[in-house]
Parts: sequence; C-alpha cells; structure tokens
Amino acid sequence: MRIGLLTEGGYPYVTGEARLWCDRLVRGLDRHEFDIFALSRSAHQEEQGWIQLPPQVHRVRTAPLWTAEDDGVVYGRRARRRFATHWGELAAAVCAEGETAADRFANALYGLADLEREEGGLAAALRSEAAVDALEKACRAPGAPRAARQARVADLLTVTGLIERTLRPLSLDWYEEVEGGLGAVDLCHAASGGAAALPGLLAKHFYGVPLLVTEYGVQLRAHYLGAAGALSAPARALLAGFHGRLATEVYRQAALITPGNTHARRWQERCGADKAKLRTVYPGMEVSRFAEVGESADLADPDTLVWVGRIEPSKDLIALLHAFAEVRKEEPKVRLRIIGAPADGPEAATYLAHCTTLAAQLFPDEAEGVHAVGDNPVSFEEIGGPEVPELADAYAAGSVVVLSSVVEGFPISLVEAMFCGRATVSTDVGAVVEVIGGTGLVVPPRNPRALADACLALLRDPERRDRLGAAARARALELFTVDQNIAAFRSIYLEIVARHPVRREGLDESGEPQPFANPAEVFLPGRWGPSGRSGLEESGASGPSWAADGAAAEASQPAEASTDGVSDGDEPVGVGAAGEGER
Amino acid sequence: MSDSRMTSDAPAEDVVDTPTTPASPGSWDTRSEEVLASSALTASSRTGDVPAVKGKARRPGGRRGAVDPVKALMHRHRELCEQAVDPLEIAAGLEAHGVTDRTAARFRHRDVFSLAEEMYARAERDEESAPASSEPAGSVAGPQVPVGWAAFAMLPGAVCAMAVAALDFTSGSAKLFAGLLGAIAVGIALRVALRQGPLRVRGRQVPATRAWTGFLLAYALVGEGLLDGILAGGPDGPWPLHTAPLLGLALAVAPAAVCARLFAVQSARTLALSRGLDDFASAVRPLLCGVFAVFLAVATGLLLASGAVLGEGARGVGPAVALGALLLLARLLEVHGFPDAGALMLGAACAAEALALATALGGRLPGFGFLSAPVESVASAWGPGAVPVLICGGAAAVLLAHAMRRLTRASAHAEAVR
Repeated sequence: MRIGLLTEGGYPYVTGEARLWCDRLVRGLDRHEFDIFALSRSAHQEEQGWIQLPPQVHRVRTAPLWTAEDDGVVYGRRARRRFATHWGELAAAVCAEGETAADRFANALYGLADLEREEGGLAAALRSEAAVDALEKACRAPGAPRAARQARVADLLTVTGLIERTLRPLSLDWYEEVEGGLGAVDLCHAASGGAAALPGLLAKHFYGVPLLVTEYGVQLRAHYLGAAGALSAPARALLAGFHGRLATEVYRQAALITPGNTHARRWQERCGADKAKLRTVYPGMEVSRFAEVGESADLADPDTLVWVGRIEPSKDLIALLHAFAEVRKEEPKVRLRIIGAPADGPEAATYLAHCTTLAAQLFPDEAEGVHAVGDNPVSFEEIGGPEVPELADAYAAGSVVVLSSVVEGFPISLVEAMFCGRATVSTDVGAVVEVIGGTGLVVPPRNPRALADACLALLRDPERRDRLGAAARARALELFTVDQNIAAFRSIYLEIVARHPVRREGLDESGEPQPFANPAEVFLPGRWGPSGRSGLEESGASGPSWAADGAAAEASQPAEASTDGVSDGDEPVGVGAAGEGER
Repeated sequence: MSDSRMTSDAPAEDVVDTPTTPASPGSWDTRSEEVLASSALTASSRTGDVPAVKGKARRPGGRRGAVDPVKALMHRHRELCEQAVDPLEIAAGLEAHGVTDRTAARFRHRDVFSLAEEMYARAERDEESAPASSEPAGSVAGPQVPVGWAAFAMLPGAVCAMAVAALDFTSGSAKLFAGLLGAIAVGIALRVALRQGPLRVRGRQVPATRAWTGFLLAYALVGEGLLDGILAGGPDGPWPLHTAPLLGLALAVAPAAVCARLFAVQSARTLALSRGLDDFASAVRPLLCGVFAVFLAVATGLLLASGAVLGEGARGVGPAVALGALLLLARLLEVHGFPDAGALMLGAACAAEALALATALGGRLPGFGFLSAPVESVASAWGPGAVPVLICGGAAAVLLAHAMRRLTRASAHAEAVR
C-alpha cells in the first residue's frame, strides 16, 4: 500500500530530528510504497540536502515552514466575511474552556482550510489587522483565561504571527487526489505531532485518509519547555491554548497513536487521546554492534563500575562519586570508569572539571607497591581513546553499569547496557523504570548511600549480576530492537488499512461516478498484481534479520526465548500496550 | 539544578524506591531554611487556607516540622509556578527537573499532572492576593538595523555635494561627464542608504516605484526651467538646471532615515505598552504627525541652506519640500508593508507633471489654446514652481491621510515583534 510519511524538520534532510528511525522504518518496510511529505525548518536545513533514499520512496515533496509566500490574493467581501467568521471562531475556541471548545476549534480549522483551498490568501489574511482584531475580541471575551485577558498589542501580534507560522501547512498544494498528492495515499503517517500532523488532518478532512501519529516526544510538552520560554505570559497562555487544542484534534482524528514510551503516552492521554487508540512502540536501536559484548562468555572485570554517557550537570556525577566513596570504604579494590565526552556548552565543560577535581580530592592516587607508579581509582575517559575504541567496549569494561541521572528522558545508555548484558544500577528518573522493568536495580535519585548499597550488592554477588544481565539483554532484545519497531509498525499499518480503508469513488473522464471502478483487490492490503504477494504473506515471511544470523543462534538462553517472541508474534508491542492499557 | 537537592529520608537499605511520605521537604540553602522556619511559625494560623491534599487525612506527627511538602516544592520551583499559564506548563517544568510519578506519589498525588494542578491552583491564589507587577521592561529596541546606518544615511548628501561641486568646477564635455558620473554615484549612494537602515523594505516591493521616483527627481532638476521656457515660447537652447533642490533632497535622506527610525522605535515601544488596538492607534497618530512635521521642518532648512550656498535662492524650496514629503510617506508605507498606495500616488504625480508639460506644449497648437490655460494661469499667479508644489503636495496629502489610517494599525508594526 502507499504510505504518506509526514515529517517536520527531519527526515529526509541530513540534519534534524527523527531521521534515523524514519530511515529505518522506510528501509524496513520495503514492500510498501512511500511518498514523503516533508516540512523543512530553515534555509540552512534545505541547503544541507537529503540523505540517500531507498527505492521504495516514490516521491518526496517538501515545503518550507520557515517562510511564507504571499500568493497575492486579496479577499473579496464574501471571502473576507468567511475568514472573519472562521478565524474569530478559532480564536474564541483557543480562549474558551470546556468540551465544546474542541469541536469549535476543529470546525474553525477546517473552515479555514476550505477557505484556503478555494480562495488562497490565508497567510496575508492572518497577518492583517482583522486577524489581530478578532484575537483581541476573543481575549477580552468573558471566560477567557486570566493571563489572556491581560494581552497587550505586542502579544496579540506575536501570537497571530506564530499561529500563522503553524498553520502554513494549510496553504500547501499537497491536497489533491492525483498521483503524488495526499489524497492518493492509503495512510498518512505523521512522524510527530503539531505542524507535521496538520497535513494529515486535512487529508483526513478532504479525502478520509486515515492518520497514524507517532510521537517520541510530545509536541505540546516541547512547546511548553522550548519555544514558549521567551514569550510573555499572555502570549504563552494563548499559544498553549492553540497547541493544546491542535493536539486534541490530532489525537481525536488519528486512527491510531503510537507514543514512544509511557511518558509520552501519559501526556497524550492527558491531552484527550482515547486509550483504545494508543499503542506504545518503543524506539528501535541498532543491536548488532553490542552483539559481541552481549554474547561473549568471558567475564568482565568484576571490580569495575562503569558510567557511560554525555557528561552534564543533570547526570549528577557528584552523587556517583560520593556513592563510589561509600563503595570504596567496603570494597577497596573497586574502580570507577567514567566514559563519555562533555555535552556541548561551557556549563558541561565546567561541570566535568568540577567532577575531576572532586574525584582527585576524594580519592588519592594509589599504587600497587612502593616502587610502582600509581593512578586514581576514578578515571575519566572518552570513547575513541586507546582504552575504549568503541561504544561497546565502554560497556564491556565493567561488570556493573551505573546511571546516576537526576533528569532523564528515554535512557539510551541504559538500553545499550542492557543490550550488552550488563547488570545495572540506575536512578528512578524519566523512563528508567519502564525500560529496566525489574532486570536491574533502581534507587531514588540524589541518594548516594542507596546507590552505593545497590552497587555493593551487585559487586558482591556475581551470580545475581549474571542473572540480571542476561534478563536485561533478553528484555532489551524483545522490546528495543529495530526489528520489533518495524514489525510493530507493519502490523499497525495493516490494522489501520483494514479498519479505515479509503473509499475512493472512481470517476470517468466526464467526472461522473463510475460503478465498479475499483475492484475488490484494491482493498487487499499489500501490493497486488504480477508479483502476486499479499500483505499477509509479507508480514509472516520476514523475520528479524539477526534471527537468521548464525551468531544469534548461539545466544544465551533468555535471548533465544526473546528471539522466538519477536519472530512468531507479530505484535510484541501490542501485548505490552494492552498490559499498559489496563493499568 | 545543584541547589535544588531533594533528599529522601527513606531508609538507606531500602534499595528499590518505595513511595513514602517525605518526612521533611529537605533543606537546600540557608535562605530557604529561613523561609521554612518562618512559615512553620505561622503555619498554625494558616492551616485554614491550605487545601487538604487529595482525599487523605493528614497523618499527625508524620513529618518533621509542620510544613506541607507541596509548599516546599512550590518554593523550590517558585519561578515556574509564578510564570506558568496552565497546569500542564508546571507539569512539563517539573518533569524537566526530574519529578516523576513516583516522586509525585510522595506528595500524595496520583501523578505529576495532579501535583501540578495543585501547585497551579495554589500559586494562582497566591498571585491573586498579591497584585503582580505586569509592566513589561521598558527597553524596546524596535526593528533591527545594521550598525552605522546613520553614516550610510548621510552618504547621498555627501556624494551629491561632491557631484555639484564637480559640476561647478568643470565646463564643456568634462561637465557633461561629471554630471553623468555624479548622477550614477548619487544613485548608488541612495541605494546603499535605503538598503542599510530604517528605510529598508523587507516585504513586497512594487518595481515601478523606482522609475516614478527617478522621473520626479529629474523633474525637480530640469522641469521648472523647461516649463518656464515652454510658457515663454521656447525653450531656446539649454535651459538652466536647478541643482539646489536635488542637493537639499539628498541631504534630507539622513533626517528621513532618522525620522523613520524614530517612528519605528517609538511605535514599537507603544506596541509593547498599549493594552488595546484602539489605544495603540490613538497613541501612534500624534507620533506620526510629529515625525512628519519634524521631517518637513528639517528638510525645509536643508533646502534653504543648499539654495543659499549654491546661489539659487529660495525659489526651488517649495516643490522640493512637497516632493520630499511625498517620497518619505511613500517609503514609510512601503517599509510597513503597503507598497501599492505609494506607487500609485507617485505614478499619479508623474503623470500629472508630464501632463502639465504636455498641455503647456499642446496649447501652442492652433485651436488648442485652452489646453495650456490651467498651467499658464497657475504659473502666472504663483510662478512655474507652483505646478509641482500643487501636484506633489496634493499627492503627499492623499498619502498622509492614507498613512494615518494604515500606519496606525498594529499589524503594520508586526515586524517589530517578530
């Protein structure tokens, strides 16, 4: 079938977000056709060019989100009145509270889309005085949020400008039923919420194309944390209203929503997403480079703790050093290797310097005897150095991997440690508990004493370490591989197309409806025709690539179990999602 | 981050974090300890207005001190709570600081969202009791302009002065050459001055504007002498050029740029301060009038001075002031996104001036004497300079009325805030 992949500021451009998983998705689902509809974020991004695209990508259409072309259309009286009605309604819905606001917002949004499709000139209209005037009226109306009531003229201008920017996808020429338009695809897959999902909303509105929304980070939350920082309170209130309503409408119209973790899922539920539509699909990570370490039987240095990551204040290395001091009191032989480069910015560099000083103060250099040259039990190393040439070697360096962050999103280094079959001690932040799921020790953040006790427990018990490491690797192989990610999306695509097929009425040359224009085969999932493959065969035939790998067959017992779990169950994630749904 | 340490008093052996009620909010610096101490003193009198935490009775003696933990959390994130516009913003901020649902459970909340809701509700109540100072910062810079724009704005005047001096010192074909070179140099200087500064047009432009401006400036140079010659039955041979108005107008580019900058900065400031669109319009209208009047006064002075220096007296001042006003208004409208009206009025002025010349010539045809009657009557009453004064002045008046409506709208100044 034909998938319209909607992206914003990432794939297929070389720079930007989400390009890795989109690329893996498109390459993994090579029996579908992909049309990519990409919104770019800056001129710089456009200049950088695209990544290499596989042959299943039939067409790429791009549009800039950072600049608006004035199409020179000046509204007549009727169009002006229509604009005033819809925009006024939209502004009122942004300022209003309650259930009806979502419906009003949706109607106004589609009203503006219809107007733009018939007349054009929306960008100029949104920058006109009438738009600012309508927004002012909405802010002064009874029932508007208190912050919005204090809006000044500058805030109104800022807000209309930013809303105009977000609504730019309304003005695109993608909404046509001919080959290459959004009307001709069987399924729209938005790689993020917000502006990227807007073309999908309109495709659903105009042609009934089902929409799938994948969010690894919730756009609304990103809006709160990022863009809104520099704005005044009234502008933030209005924009929060707008983005909140937009998110609600996207979640309402989506056939299915796939959050990347439970955290995103909670936000989506909070914004009005129906629980029945949510399917958590964990991000997939490349497992092959950790295979050697994960499967090797020789034991790691039993007296070494490893920390891997980008060094920045939120990782709380200070607590780690204090915890290590406690560990050293009990087990003087233990060493700590901190492997990673400082994050960008002067703050991280200062933090690293601070940590090295603290380490030098807490732990004096030690030597084996009177005649040997000593060194510090805590070492700071970077990947690519002589000791740790590869990322996998970093995890291989120790028997226990420690994560001491106070703030964490999706803990990638923890997943990598799990792939390497290492026992882990981590702090209870972000998605750590969800990721580790009982295959490692979890302690409260900012509690060096607890961290030290957990480390000691693992250092003293090699069997428990091995057990936890094997279980962690099995869990990671089941949940966080690229193959599970692709398999999950394959079955989700089939589910959506089966449940929400696009009914296209065949038209003959004169524009009259043509009965029996679409034979029954059109509604079969997958490609039909000379190759004779059906979509059902397709999903059964493809196993994870590493399952066929000779090396993988010799994996440890739990890993094999998980291999089976992925290859014969088409929906490993669906099971997990159902479990979470009941919670 | 490092100053907001949150210590859990959970037993240290308890490795896996079990949700417990914190025994204390923890102390993170001396100042906040003082705050906690003082609120502990007053807590007994304030228990009435602290809302009961989600459906559970408080456990007496369960925590050290009498401070409720949410209040301490709010104190730690007080900036976030004060600035938040809805509970979700607090939730996002809390999560960015490492608060998870497990942490929220210690505050006896189901998740971060409900904790954020309580914090939002309480912060809002605090805010209502204490009127917030919502006056924005007074430093509004206005739109960005390149460094040294004032120097660029003086460039046309300087180049034009040099060209005029070169014309004075040369004769014959060298004079023609100097004149051509001077015209090109002034054109380039004008382009640079308009591109680099407050008179720069960022939006749409109407290409015809440039041609109309060129024609009007050419008329200021040659038109008056030509009309004079035509009405006197000539022209017989080369008629006198008036370089003083052009020099004065070139010098007036600098005050025009200053006026445009003044208008932009002051209107941006008004934008930040005014509460409604009507307030803004009524505040900007006198500003526009004032800026325009200042420009007229300065331009008149410069034209008088250049006339005196070049020995042409005050006769070309009237038409040049009218032309300067017309050009400034057209450019201001263009800068703020309304290029059409300016182009239209400049075109109309050009057409009227060309028509004046043509009718003056056409009146010589037998039987068509009535054609030249209006121009002749104007010229005989107030001199040939009155024709461009009337034309450019009329066009400028129309543009001023238009600018009063368009430039007092907030949407015309959107560039300042974006």
